[in-house]
Amino acid sequence: MSNEIIVEKLIHKGAEASLYYGSWFGKEAIFKKRIPKGYRIEQIDKILRYNRTLNEAKALIRVKNYGVLVPPVYEIDIENSTIVMKYIKGEKLKDILNSLTTTKKVQYLKEIGKIIAYLHKNGHIHGDITTSNIILTPTQELFIIDFGLHDYSDSIEDKSTDLHLFKRVLISSHGSDYTICFDAFLEGYREGYGIEKINECRDILKNISIIETRGRYVKKEDRL
Amino acid sequence: MNLKNNLTLGIESTAHTWSVGIVDFSGKVLSLVNDTFIPEKGGIHPILVKEQHLNNFMGIINKALDDASISIKDIDLIAFSKSPGLGQILKIGAHVARMLSQLLGIPIVGVNHCIAHIEIGRFLCKIDDPLTLYVSGGNTIVSAYESGRYQIFGETLDIPVGNLIDSFARDVGIPHPGGPKVEALARKSDNYLRLPYVVKGMDLSFSGLYSAAKRLIESKDYKNKYTLNDIANSLQETAFAMLTEVTERALAHTGKSEVLLTGGVAANKRLQEMVRYISKEHGARFEVVPLKYAGDNGAMIAWTGILRYKAIGGNTLSETQINPKERMDQITIPWRS
Repeated sequence: MSNEIIVEKLIHKGAEASLYYGSWFGKEAIFKKRIPKGYRIEQIDKILRYNRTLNEAKALIRVKNYGVLVPPVYEIDIENSTIVMKYIKGEKLKDILNSLTTTKKVQYLKEIGKIIAYLHKNGHIHGDITTSNIILTPTQELFIIDFGLHDYSDSIEDKSTDLHLFKRVLISSHGSDYTICFDAFLEGYREGYGIEKINECRDILKNISIIETRGRYVKKEDRL
Repeated sequence: MNLKNNLTLGIESTAHTWSVGIVDFSGKVLSLVNDTFIPEKGGIHPILVKEQHLNNFMGIINKALDDASISIKDIDLIAFSKSPGLGQILKIGAHVARMLSQLLGIPIVGVNHCIAHIEIGRFLCKIDDPLTLYVSGGNTIVSAYESGRYQIFGETLDIPVGNLIDSFARDVGIPHPGGPKVEALARKSDNYLRLPYVVKGMDLSFSGLYSAAKRLIESKDYKNKYTLNDIANSLQETAFAMLTEVTERALAHTGKSEVLLTGGVAANKRLQEMVRYISKEHGARFEVVPLKYAGDNGAMIAWTGILRYKAIGGNTLSETQINPKERMDQITIPWRS
């Protein structure tokens, strides 16, 4: 076993952070580094990078307790705003969703619904649930990544906002099958939320349409 | 229908600007005349704007015709802004357009104002398929074309960014429009006062930022520990960093190779600088719509009307109902599919 940290190559350049592939004491690892953003002034840049790195690392560690699959954290380097975590092999759901059979789509979306419900039930808001942030492994496990906008909250509003974002992503990027996908997602969500909190779950789902009607430029007949 | 001259008269009337543009079918702008309501104090009061537009609309149409050296009879197509905007103002444009269409016996097209902003940008900047950041006093939208529509990837959850700047300017006694003045003040300071930075997923919220800036003005530390320039700088830096972050995220998500900045706030050099920066980082071409066509104008309405007319023809009269709250992602785009 090697006892070195090797950063091999840049594998993804996101809007917020760059992902490097490498090895961490002999283990395949991802280095998620929040790079300074040259477009914003240093004061804003520092606050955002520091807070988001710390917040994300804490979240990754905590949500594991609720049976949610996330990359395990190996190391947190706050000075360089870097999180070192396990490398998860697989494909982004965004890239493969449109080519899946309907049965598979329903199966995965339902599972994702459950996972998000586990997060919400325990007061975790992902903040950026998109199909780019879900990885399907070769063993058909679904990993949730990118907790950069994660927040702690028990409010109905925050949870529905989270779901509303996912709904919008499904519409904008996977338009043709949006209804099937979102229905399956909601079914899983209800199931994951469980019978003991059924009222809360109902309020959250109801609030999605309230958020939509509150949005700008909504058709008159849809407004409240 | 046999069109004689391929000339379109476009009417923009969604808010404080009544604008008439005459554009031919190749996109050449023959004339563009604007009449903008500037409030003596306070914001844009719909009743007062309506008064001004009703008094001036015919003069502006005549001036546009004169500038283009044509007669009203040479016009082949009428386009007008049918959504979104202030209902009272949209109505004037719709009424005038319907009247002209019937009087002259020519086709009419109702145009979505937000889509017109994107289309004029695509045309003038010779861009094919951009990710657009549209920032004005009435809208803050990050949009791109996908699955037959201009999808909205991010937008403000409360006030538009232009409204934030205008309202702030008004509070400190800067007359409308406050944008250029706030930009000038901000340039004089490098001090940053921490203000709330609110990005929720791909959406933005500016109302907390506005309240926080207002509190800074009302505080007893104002003019002792920090100046107006400092607040202007902090306000711009925070708001624009938020806009740029969301734009960058949408750029990464959609993988578009072009970025278009439009709307009245697009004139801001600092915002241009920030969006240009991220475009460059992602290898995307960056374009700002020329100032004359970035704000509300009749030429963009005419041009979008032409696109729609060429693709599927004009609207029936019953389709020219105004719709003050129409979202751009509700509309299919026949000329791009």
